[in-house]
Amino acid sequence: MSNSNDPAPNGASKPTFTIGTTTPSDATDELCPRLGTLQLPGRRTVETPNFTAVTSRGVIPHLTPEVVSKYTSFSSAYISLEDFLEKKDHAILKMPTTDRPLHAFTSFPTHIPTIVAARRCPSVLAPGGNTAKNISIFTSTGFSTITVPKFAATVAHIRPDIVIPLADLLHISLNPSLKKKVRMADRTESWMDEFLELVNADVRESAGIKVFAPILPIDHATQWAYINHLNEDLSGDLAGLAIYDVNILPDLQLYKNLTSLPKLSLDLPKTPHDVLRQVALGVDLVLASFVNVISDAGIAFSFTLPTDGDIPTDGDAGAIRPLGVDMSETAHATSLEPLLADCVCYTCTKHHRAYVNHLLHAKEMLGWNLLQIHNHHVLSVFFSSIRTAMGRGTFEAAREAFGRAWDVDFPQGMGERPRARGYHFKSEVSQEKYNKPVWKGLEPGQGVMADV
Amino acid sequence: MPVATQASLKGLTYEQLEQTSCRLCLNNTYHLGLKPGQETLDAVGGAHKLQGWDHNILTDSGGFQMVSLLELATITEEGVRFLSPHDGSPMLLTPEHSMSLQNSIGSDIMMQLDDVLVTTSPDAARMRLAMERSVRWLDRCIAAHKKPETQNLFCIIQGGLDLEMRKECCEEMVKRDTPGIAIGGLSGGEAKDDFCRVVETCTALLPDLKPRYVMGIGFPEDLVVSVALGADMFDCVWPTRTARFGAAVTRHGVLNMRNARFAHDFGPVETGCGCNCCLSVDKGGMAVTRAFVHHNSAKETVGAHLLTIHNVYYQLNLMRQIRESIIAQRFPDFIREFFGNLYEDTEDYPTWAVDALRRVNVDLIK
Ligand SMILES: [Zn+2]
Ligand SMILES: [Zn+2]
Repeated sequence: MSNSNDPAPNGASKPTFTIGTTTPSDATDELCPRLGTLQLPGRRTVETPNFTAVTSRGVIPHLTPEVVSKYTSFSSAYISLEDFLEKKDHAILKMPTTDRPLHAFTSFPTHIPTIVAARRCPSVLAPGGNTAKNISIFTSTGFSTITVPKFAATVAHIRPDIVIPLADLLHISLNPSLKKKVRMADRTESWMDEFLELVNADVRESAGIKVFAPILPIDHATQWAYINHLNEDLSGDLAGLAIYDVNILPDLQLYKNLTSLPKLSLDLPKTPHDVLRQVALGVDLVLASFVNVISDAGIAFSFTLPTDGDIPTDGDAGAIRPLGVDMSETAHATSLEPLLADCVCYTCTKHHRAYVNHLLHAKEMLGWNLLQIHNHHVLSVFFSSIRTAMGRGTFEAAREAFGRAWDVDFPQGMGERPRARGYHFKSEVSQEKYNKPVWKGLEPGQGVMADV
Repeated sequence: MPVATQASLKGLTYEQLEQTSCRLCLNNTYHLGLKPGQETLDAVGGAHKLQGWDHNILTDSGGFQMVSLLELATITEEGVRFLSPHDGSPMLLTPEHSMSLQNSIGSDIMMQLDDVLVTTSPDAARMRLAMERSVRWLDRCIAAHKKPETQNLFCIIQGGLDLEMRKECCEEMVKRDTPGIAIGGLSGGEAKDDFCRVVETCTALLPDLKPRYVMGIGFPEDLVVSVALGADMFDCVWPTRTARFGAAVTRHGVLNMRNARFAHDFGPVETGCGCNCCLSVDKGGMAVTRAFVHHNSAKETVGAHLLTIHNVYYQLNLMRQIRESIIAQRFPDFIREFFGNLYEDTEDYPTWAVDALRRVNVDLIK
């Protein structure tokens, strides 16, 4: 895939993030949504706010690289390193290429920037937790650990566009004690220093890697020393921040050297309402893992942002609009309508609801493929509308109108999900079985319906 | 013909299928009759409209799938009786109903309902009954076919491994003058020698200017030998099914990408292959390596999609090469090259292929 638009000059040291016009006042002073552009060497320019798509084992679930290239337009892709660490000498470390090994190994479209962190998002809680030297990870063959030097060496080799260094995150308890929180901040700070020493400015320059510092999902008071260290000593090494809990954003305004950095939120939004809230708090890139989840549930996104703040008048004006439509409902069985009216995505221009409905009932893989194309497209359009509204100064009105007109949550998809693999999640006690047993013949002695 | 059982080819977009050079794919009447069902097919306007495919579709009659999938199916003169997999209620598939379903599907080529027995069945009387009944059912199909001007109905030659019975069947079927002719009942169990004898016996009796379709055939050697024996079209689920199990079909044989030896293999799935999976980026492909397929085989659906693209392309490209070599009057040379690529040594060549090809004056061991 080589259709990189606007490739930037290869000057890795040039400023990568520019904040454009924002309203109501200068974004560097006050907490508010902001427009910007993120330019990484050799990649398509990213207009922000925008979203980052989430990969599994180096692919957007169900989409081959050529489909990603042709029919999607998300800003960047999140890739977890643990997806490549099941073997000590994974092939990605041996890939003979003059390009970036991560892009080359995964055949990922070269115009799309990659963002690498150690863990999948959301990640599976590791029973062992982290130690001072070892960070727990979960590979396709089970739990394992990685050290800062190993992580640093791997990243320097595979060369993602952006790396989020190791953070001591909540891998055991969701509500740790204060003592543990203090330790999380201390460890993350020392790991950050160790990482930046190993992957120093020269390495980053020649490998073309930018660093987004992790900001922990704990209160400001407990991690202020770490953040202060980033602000005072490391800001020159940083190209962005990776925010694990957006509630800390107001506190981050105190750190003048950090405010102009792009902020990627790893505080996973579940709905477009969450997305709008994060953007309102000044997030520039949102990790949108919910797209994959909703596509697997057989749901087609059906939301748009009214950029001028007027609720669209089509249909029943007073009715609450659904965020998504369950394509497995029999109501769509003969519908020749697109998944969403006026949608210009590949799925909606080429196919109709009846086909997606059929594919979901027949458990044909193409159904999830087509939903992924549509849902990623709708979210791209949503972000484009966010930027338009911000440019016009109508973002708050648009957000408010959206909140009134659209339902709070996605519908529960009733269709069958694709088969989940071990590394997708870890079953916990008394959790309902994710993979339902395969369908057997109804009559005793009747043959099993084979997949022919 | 790749087999898109339920109106989709294993996760490929229709553009991706089109790019493999596929212009004719198979849908299964039995499956489409269950899901989405005839009513929906009528409402939507047929299978082309359902799946957004504007090239050709061939449908089977539904009978073979029923007999092979449902142990409790029984066959009477009326049709195939079976219990609905939906609710267990008794159902009946008649030649008339099969035609009606296929008319609703709107396939470009439709198949008659036939009485299928495994060729290895020892019951000669039952085999004769099946063969004669298939002729009677063809007559009922022709009578019930509502759109002969837009949909081509193919007959199916039956008769097991009994060459005399096959000849008799050919004679009867040819009299009905259908636009194309299929050789049925040959999908697996029989010895390859017997398979070849049946194909060559039938093709010798069939008119030159009608397509001859050997049903359920897909291994590359079978395709090459069957063309040499006078057959024109084939279908098989094998290339796509085997892709989902991590197997790549190449000119040097089938390679299981899950094997550890491919974990660090950075070559394309097949060197020189023109599919979008193997082609380099500057030629518009994805430059996927064996190592990446290994990484995702049986883990992400994309692993299967990539091999499906490759395997379908391989099969269609093999048939294209066969056609080109026939036009260039060098088909025997092509066959020798083909077997030379597949086997290390001429001693490894399968005897059935050597023998069958010798009967049509192609000497493999020259
Ligand atoms: Zn769409
Ligand atoms: Zn290939």
